[in-house]
Amino acid sequence: MIAVAERTFGLLALLAIVVALATIVALVRRRVPDWLRDDVALPLAAAIAATATGGSLLLSEVAGYLPCTLCWYQRIAMYPLVVILAVAAVRGDGDVWRTVLPLTGIGSAIAVWHIAIENNPAWGGPCEDAAPCTIIWVEEFGFLTLPTMALVAFVTISVLSLAARRP
Amino acid sequence: MTTPTKNARAEARRKEREEQRRAEVKRQRLIYGGIGAAVVVLAVVIAAVSVGETDDRVSLSEVAGDVEVDGDTLPPIPDGAADPAVGQPAPLLSGADFGGTPITVGDGAQLVSFVASWCPACDAELPLVVDWLDAGGPPEDVQFVMVSTNHDDSRQNWPPQDWFAAAGYTGDVLVDDVASSAFRAYGLTATPSWVVISDDGEVLFRASGMIDPAEFDTLAELAAAG
Repeated sequence: MIAVAERTFGLLALLAIVVALATIVALVRRRVPDWLRDDVALPLAAAIAATATGGSLLLSEVAGYLPCTLCWYQRIAMYPLVVILAVAAVRGDGDVWRTVLPLTGIGSAIAVWHIAIENNPAWGGPCEDAAPCTIIWVEEFGFLTLPTMALVAFVTISVLSLAARRP
Repeated sequence: MTTPTKNARAEARRKEREEQRRAEVKRQRLIYGGIGAAVVVLAVVIAAVSVGETDDRVSLSEVAGDVEVDGDTLPPIPDGAADPAVGQPAPLLSGADFGGTPITVGDGAQLVSFVASWCPACDAELPLVVDWLDAGGPPEDVQFVMVSTNHDDSRQNWPPQDWFAAAGYTGDVLVDDVASSAFRAYGLTATPSWVVISDDGEVLFRASGMIDPAEFDTLAELAAAG
């Protein structure tokens, strides 16, 4: 079951990358479709935050993968986004990016550092038995580790919240 | 029955348009929600099909060894201070490798590396150790031993014997037990850890973390000289 969950999160992360790239193109060309801005961007961003939150809890509480210190910092940035974006989606709050971007910016920076030490174990120091940040619990499609998936989620949520801005 | 006024008719039309708009928004939300749910279900189905069954993993109890510890447990390695274990008798560890061949640690000039297969730092260091051994390794009177410890069958690079084999390591390995008794007897808290033992069984050096490969020879010479 856990292997299926990990693969599912990997597939959803791939999909999120596609969504993020398409949204970035729309933002750069200043042609965000009305349906994306008004109806889809914020609910989708909330769903991504909820999936990331649920996934992290599933892997730690059910699969038993101990979260390291950097995992916790990324959780701190991700978990509030579920409520913030859900409320914004219900209210149609196009200004929520002002609250979202600081959290996703911090979360993205931590995720980038986490990915860096995953790829350079010597930077992370020796491995404590409990939860070294260098350990790779999940690796889907050869590159989607947990901090990579978190980075994808933070970036996708960021661009979707920008796409929800009113003109 | 009274005839509706012009304003009342306009109000009725406005309400009707508003209801139509709400109905349209509701319909669109249902469509978007349905698409989202379908995408998630499709992802789960694809994942279930592509992952398949993986129940053939070797269990922890099948891998972990039996280690007998003789001697006092060493104190933890201090941060930045002189190591109080240097000069103390090294605990004598008696166990076996993955094939059951007896292995002993602590009874002669040895360079010992405690590693965990799931540990990324150990994973990065093992190929460097293999290269060093292929290039000649320690002097003949110094034995190089790896201790496979902190076993965890839920983590990457399981089982450890496959991890050693994949890296091309064919030297001596003492397999620690489920409680990591060998690891704890040497006062260690992290992997990789290195211990140098003299010919008369005294601890000469301990360190945690990856070591510069250029230092491997230095540590081996320390064991030989001790």
